[in-house]
Amino acid sequence: MTVTYVGVRHHSPACARLVRRTIAELRPAHVLVEGPADFNDRLDELLLGHTLPVAIFSHHRDGERRHASWTPFCAYSPEWVALTEGRAAGAEVRFIDLPAWHPAFAGRSNRYTDAEERYAEATGRLCREFAVDNTDALWDHLVEIQDDDGMADRLAAYFDLVRGESAAGEDDTAREAYMARWIKAAEADAAGRPVVVVTGGFHRPALRALAGRAAPEKGWPEVPRPPDGATGGSYLVPYSFKRLDAFTGYQSGMPSPEYYQRVWEDGPQAAADALTEAVVRSLRERRQPVSTADLIAARTLTEGLTRLRGHRAPARTDLLDGLVAALVTDDLEQRLPWTGRGPLRSGAHPAVVAMVRALSGDRVGRLAPGTPAPPLVHDVTAELERLGLDGAGHVTLDLTGEPDLTRGRTLHRLRVLDVPGFRRESGPAGGADPVLEEVWSLTPDGDRLPALIEAGAYGATLREAAAAALDGRIAAAGPDMRALAAVLFDAALCGSADLSDRIALALRRGIAHAPDIGALGHVLGTVLGLWRHDRVLGTAGSPLFGAVIDGCVRRVLWQVEGVRGGPAPADLERLRALAAVRDAVLHAAEVIDLDRAAVLATAARVSADTDAPPDLRGAAFGLCWSLAGATGAAADPERAVRGAASPGVLGDWLAGLFALARDEVITAGNGSVLAVLDELVGRLTETDFLVALPALRQAFAFFPPRERETIARGLLERRGLRGSARSLLRTAAPPELLAAAAELDLRATTLLTTEGLLKDPPP
Amino acid sequence: MTEQMVQRPPAEARFADELERLRQNDAAPRPPGWALSLDAARRFIVGDDALGVRRKFVGDPSLIDRSLVTLATSRGLMLVGEPGTAKSLLSELIAAAVSGDSTLTIQGGAATTEDQIKYSWNYALLVAEGPSTRSLVPAPLLRGMAEGKVVRFEEITRCPLEVQDSLLSPLSDRVLAVPELTGPDAMVFAREGFNVIATANTRDRGVNEMSAALKRRFNFETVFPIADFGTELELVEAEAAALLERSGVQAAPRRDVLEVLVTTFRELRSGSTADGRPTERPSAVMSTAEAVAVAHAVGVRGWFLRGEPGDAADIVECLAGTAAKDSPEDLARLRRYLEQQASRRGGEQWKALHAARHRLPGR
Repeated sequence: MTVTYVGVRHHSPACARLVRRTIAELRPAHVLVEGPADFNDRLDELLLGHTLPVAIFSHHRDGERRHASWTPFCAYSPEWVALTEGRAAGAEVRFIDLPAWHPAFAGRSNRYTDAEERYAEATGRLCREFAVDNTDALWDHLVEIQDDDGMADRLAAYFDLVRGESAAGEDDTAREAYMARWIKAAEADAAGRPVVVVTGGFHRPALRALAGRAAPEKGWPEVPRPPDGATGGSYLVPYSFKRLDAFTGYQSGMPSPEYYQRVWEDGPQAAADALTEAVVRSLRERRQPVSTADLIAARTLTEGLTRLRGHRAPARTDLLDGLVAALVTDDLEQRLPWTGRGPLRSGAHPAVVAMVRALSGDRVGRLAPGTPAPPLVHDVTAELERLGLDGAGHVTLDLTGEPDLTRGRTLHRLRVLDVPGFRRESGPAGGADPVLEEVWSLTPDGDRLPALIEAGAYGATLREAAAAALDGRIAAAGPDMRALAAVLFDAALCGSADLSDRIALALRRGIAHAPDIGALGHVLGTVLGLWRHDRVLGTAGSPLFGAVIDGCVRRVLWQVEGVRGGPAPADLERLRALAAVRDAVLHAAEVIDLDRAAVLATAARVSADTDAPPDLRGAAFGLCWSLAGATGAAADPERAVRGAASPGVLGDWLAGLFALARDEVITAGNGSVLAVLDELVGRLTETDFLVALPALRQAFAFFPPRERETIARGLLERRGLRGSARSLLRTAAPPELLAAAAELDLRATTLLTTEGLLKDPPP
Repeated sequence: MTEQMVQRPPAEARFADELERLRQNDAAPRPPGWALSLDAARRFIVGDDALGVRRKFVGDPSLIDRSLVTLATSRGLMLVGEPGTAKSLLSELIAAAVSGDSTLTIQGGAATTEDQIKYSWNYALLVAEGPSTRSLVPAPLLRGMAEGKVVRFEEITRCPLEVQDSLLSPLSDRVLAVPELTGPDAMVFAREGFNVIATANTRDRGVNEMSAALKRRFNFETVFPIADFGTELELVEAEAAALLERSGVQAAPRRDVLEVLVTTFRELRSGSTADGRPTERPSAVMSTAEAVAVAHAVGVRGWFLRGEPGDAADIVECLAGTAAKDSPEDLARLRRYLEQQASRRGGEQWKALHAARHRLPGR
């Protein structure tokens, strides 16, 4: 048989050694590797002499889905060893798996994720059999720490057992069928010379069976092409050990890359020694006490565990278990991360964190010069250079003119693409914010290039990519109005506030389902400011924002009519939302597809609805008053105030009224609303006054000090008194204290009266 | 007194046959003073199908590895964790495996004195003969040192600090002075095989108050509640079935009822539901041991009141006593859980649990 199948676990040094030995022994004509077949004509790019780890980043976007995934390589990846050693041995090297965009990979962001998860039952049984904690410990026990002799048979037995008779899922079946075709083609082409196939061990049994059955292949299989209209591509990106590590990365494979890197370079004993030292050093740097006695204990325990578990040298968990038993002298809050799988949670013991971090390592890959990069990288580099933003330090921008406006937009676009190293220190925080200066701090960052390459998935130019990223965020915000407000402001800052039909639809749909009036009001306020005033960012009159205003006004009015409830403290956010509606109706009528009469009718209904909460009724009345003021169809405010005169309701009703029609109240003068109010409050009993007081205070807080002074002067005049209106507004003690004193006073009087000690009961 | 009449014989008696089989098949080297090799001791606890040795502790096997290796070194073993995580069972099993004797036990408490740890006197003999080895009454620590055995110290943190510190010199110098005696009897040197397993639970005073000197002489192992739902369910089912049989209940517990029970316990313990919604954690201990106790009570209620296995309504009745104990806040938390979480679940038993929520006492 000329085809040799090497089933591997991705990122396993033991498997990498096996691949190296197999290629050296067989000197094959073809080496076939599990990897994206559409990258085959660019293999030279992969072998340019990068500093590992690097990854092939692939992105894809079509009408239905958007997908990004990585195919990572480090020095001890069996796939990497197969590529490099295969080349060196003069073999033809090819990737044989489906391309990353293929639907078989939908939902997977790492091609080399462990497949064990899909066979958890079998591995669980083995873990129990060998009495180990999890599959990683099992793998170390059975493979990594064992002698290289007989490795191929041991691996084959392991994977056959784990895969068993169970049928693979649909995705795996499609991939295996495709890989089998390449194997047949290579077999035919080799004409009797050896062929080495390096794939995940779980595919090995299936591939052997498939390739044994299948008809011979004529020529190399064609590489599937993405559907028409889809965009996508693959580029190399620098990768890092942090992302490789299962403890911190998502969907990754073997944990502790630094440990395995050292095992690959120097063997397990040297790796254990070096990492013990690294852990102790990092703990001592963090001022955690580690005595020599602790160190001796750690060594002894590691040695003991190694022997107990029958290992020839300390395995990863022997090392970790020895260290943790010796160094941790507290109870732990959570179980040790290496007894389970998944990311390290917050609150882990500092010694445990240091151990995991030391074994994870901080190596970062670097691409060789001349590695092709997506157009976005070149666009950004040129743009930054042109605008003089390629340095480091603080940059202050004057937003009132060019070229700083363009510079600001460029920086904001990089920010929304999450490219590290561009931080906004200060600048305008909203459409009506009178700040015209923006300060940025620029710091060169090693992660900038990978982030840019990955952002390349959004588009070829910075403008396009930022707009696409914002589109995505708008769609993702859905009915979450606070998120939407943030995105829209970002869009304004990026100069991307133009509107496509698709986005308009997504926006309308999101707003139409927004559940929270307060949040809607927040968006409406933000956007109205940007739409009306913003000449700096150039968003005044923007159709995107017009559409948002229209949607929000309709939604708020719809929501308001549905609110039911008895007396309750005034909801200020709700009142602000209604105020924003009033502003929109007054100042942005041309973008609202709803006439004033309809708004007035809604407001009148709410204000007359006895089931609606008082603050909302007051606000609705205020809305009527302020809008109708222009048309002259005002309702009778005095009657309305008398209607809301009960002490539990009055303050909240007024809060609504003042939030919406403060100006009208003042303009109407002391003869109307305020006079009625004065009369009503004067007639309140002591008890009722105390009940109404907090809400009344809140309501009058809507008036700025100057207007409060006007009101106070009116009160003095009405009583025919002379004096300073301002001094009336100042109180000698904090109002809470006065209220408490009044209440105490009242309680004492009541008590005295009931006991018959006071003749005249209080009014 | 025959074996049958003892309510709960020690581990070395309960599993005498397993220990014997392991001893006969034990070819690996034994640490000095040990009854079994490390490997055989490990198999005694994690189980060995080939020798017919049952798995006795459900938890990470690496915890057993670390514990045994610790005992083979010069540091003591400190098992810490929430109440009801089988710390005492584990210490008993380890002592039985390592020394063949798990009875050298000191029960820690507020009233524990040095006498109960080291030695005391037979006062009649002391008065008649003066201090001598005859009038000396050795306590577990002295015996463990003299005989080279593992001493168990339960709930060490419940003892006063100065009493805890009486372990210092036995653990570091491996010697215990008896100043009342003279000559070679005045110093008891620990023989090979002596070590200490202490347990402490994190709900009581915790290990933070322990002196640093004593902490340094122990390796700490935290015992966690069972991570895996299936494993915990199996354990509860097996233990409850055994208890019910001993109580004379002839109906085995229903699995769907136990599923509801174990899920409730796990969610209240972790403070979040399986789909990630937060719930309020009661201050009472929601351990596996408590779940077994509730399952037992549920079965007893069902059988002796109605002649059938217990159902979800019985769970509610029993939960009030075990989970809420005497705390009205816990009762409120429990009520909220039953109202809000149980109603979301599908399945007959969840519906029954929700329907029975009014059986909680109060309000």
